[in-house]
Amino acid sequence: MRYAPAILVGRLVRFAARLRKPGGGSAVPGLIVNTIAPGYLKRTLSGFPQGLVVVSGSSGKSTTTKMLVAILRAHGIDVFTNPSTANISQGLTSALLERADWRGRVPGDVAVLEMDEGHGAVVMQGVDARVVTLMNVMVDQIDRFHDSEMVAGMLARIAERAHEAVVVNADDAYLERISGRMSPDVAVRRFGVSEAVLEAAPRGLGYTETTSARLAAGEGVRVESVDGVTAVLADGETSVAIRLPARGTHYAVDAAAAYATARAVLGDAFVATTAADALSEIPAVFGRGERVRVRGQDVEFVLVQNPASYQLNVDSIDPDTEQILFAMGSDVRDPSYFWPTDASALGRVAIVSGSKAHEAALMLAYDGVEIDRVEPDLPRALDDFLSSPPPTAGVKTIVFTADSMRRTRSHLGLTGAE
Amino acid sequence: MSGVTLTIVSLLPRLQNTNGDAQNAAVLAARATWAGLDARVVDVDRRDALPERVDAIVLGSGSDSSLEATRGTLLTMHDELRTWGTEGVPILAVGTGWELLSWGIELADGSAVEGLGVLPGRAVPRADRVTGDLVVSSPRFGTLVGFENHARDYVGAEGSPLGRVRAGSGNGRDAGQEGVVMGSVIGTHLHGPVLAKNPSFADALLGIASERARLEYRPGERTAIVDGYAAAAREAQLSAAGVALSASGPRA
Repeated sequence: MRYAPAILVGRLVRFAARLRKPGGGSAVPGLIVNTIAPGYLKRTLSGFPQGLVVVSGSSGKSTTTKMLVAILRAHGIDVFTNPSTANISQGLTSALLERADWRGRVPGDVAVLEMDEGHGAVVMQGVDARVVTLMNVMVDQIDRFHDSEMVAGMLARIAERAHEAVVVNADDAYLERISGRMSPDVAVRRFGVSEAVLEAAPRGLGYTETTSARLAAGEGVRVESVDGVTAVLADGETSVAIRLPARGTHYAVDAAAAYATARAVLGDAFVATTAADALSEIPAVFGRGERVRVRGQDVEFVLVQNPASYQLNVDSIDPDTEQILFAMGSDVRDPSYFWPTDASALGRVAIVSGSKAHEAALMLAYDGVEIDRVEPDLPRALDDFLSSPPPTAGVKTIVFTADSMRRTRSHLGLTGAE
Repeated sequence: MSGVTLTIVSLLPRLQNTNGDAQNAAVLAARATWAGLDARVVDVDRRDALPERVDAIVLGSGSDSSLEATRGTLLTMHDELRTWGTEGVPILAVGTGWELLSWGIELADGSAVEGLGVLPGRAVPRADRVTGDLVVSSPRFGTLVGFENHARDYVGAEGSPLGRVRAGSGNGRDAGQEGVVMGSVIGTHLHGPVLAKNPSFADALLGIASERARLEYRPGERTAIVDGYAAAAREAQLSAAGVALSASGPRA
């Protein structure tokens, strides 16, 4: 009962926000509830019968969270999860309010939350998690996180909230150091890639510091092989073949993380084939290697969010791809930190666009990429790119940053999945 | 072709490349190649990896946790760094790489890291980290446009700064100045691909390196196309930083 008044106020605010902006979500109801009932988030997160599972790290947490939720649901578990846009305190409270009854209780056996590494350490204060999964440490968003040590420190604080297990990427040296400092009654479980998978990755895995040795067979969930959109995961004696939501070793690593976490959560109830089926049914993620039909032709979308995903995604574009549009938007305040990447594999780009088109063109040119045209006006670039004759090889491919992705989606009338 | 390969050393690119500063070595090599010269970049992480011939050096910025490791390795090349500096080999040092070439670094906790003393001045703590656009009018290299991201100011460069700050913080402490220059050794807060963004700066360094190597550097055809992207990117950043274009052209 103690939260009923705050819940009522939050509901009313949400209703008002919807009147103003139909269909839109808002962090405002969460902000208000957090203000008038500061204990609500903490108590609710700690109140799920089978506990709370948190996924954090620099990259791959959204995909891993989706995969983990799919595996748990396939095992018949009722899961509460947050939309990936709602992973900071107010958004999280708002997401809980969406599902809460009038007393503020949220149905579900277990909560699986994607946690921003910056805000997670604050949100998680006083909250106990059963399992914490850490993906990786990558240098990202330099205006906000100044270096890898800072990111690792924030992840360590999130990991400290785990009372049953932490699941860590064994290939990430920062995370291995964090796992070495865990209390002895917290189990450490691992996922990683095989030597062969690392060797096949042209530029490694993109972590700030990769460990020198790979996970030995039986030490955790290991990505044995990756071939296009299929991969094989090995877990001791068990081995399963899965389909990935898109090409790319990082998706196989995400799947291994989700698999290892689900096994930690479910214990003896975990069924490998059920997990493999659930993973294989994950739909392609929008903007991350998704192929869509637009204006009568196939177009592939590739989202770049940080230097590591940029390198991985650029490398995973089919080398035969003939027509590429590359758009960099205002979300990239300072493109400097993209410069250590190498986009020479693109070969030729038909149009460079977005509000940072000239910065992007400068970077691509020094990578040796041929540029046919620079057109900062994204709608015009999209129209011209899509109306040009279809390529003789590959499909038209659009590489974009998050801001350009949103503008592209809105210009082409594509809505829905994010 | 004279058979000489211009050799650009990228110093400690593993430790000192937080913001892509090490890519300035690749920028110099690319522009030299476009000009029809032979050029290569040599990554040097240890003294014994130093090539025989050194025509220009780029030392980028790292994080504070790499200060000691970088300093230790730079000390093994102390004699070479002094010799290059004296002989006029262009050295571009950015951020913490620059700070380590100075007299020293005062840290926020009161401790200090002794520098190599190749450049005058020292780094001192500032209250908050500064990040954002940095525009500098340099009498030698024209209007320099880029970004800064640092937690320390720099004092003692007043006699020979790189230039005057038009937007941003630069050396701080109300000096209105940015960077330090000693012959052809240049220290700056301008991080990232500053030589790509400022072609006149790159060409000035290449001019010095070519002249020392008895080569003639004349920018190539591709250079003009790529510098067109740089010009448009500079224009956009200058207008975002509120610096009027009419008054910001290079000075003689």
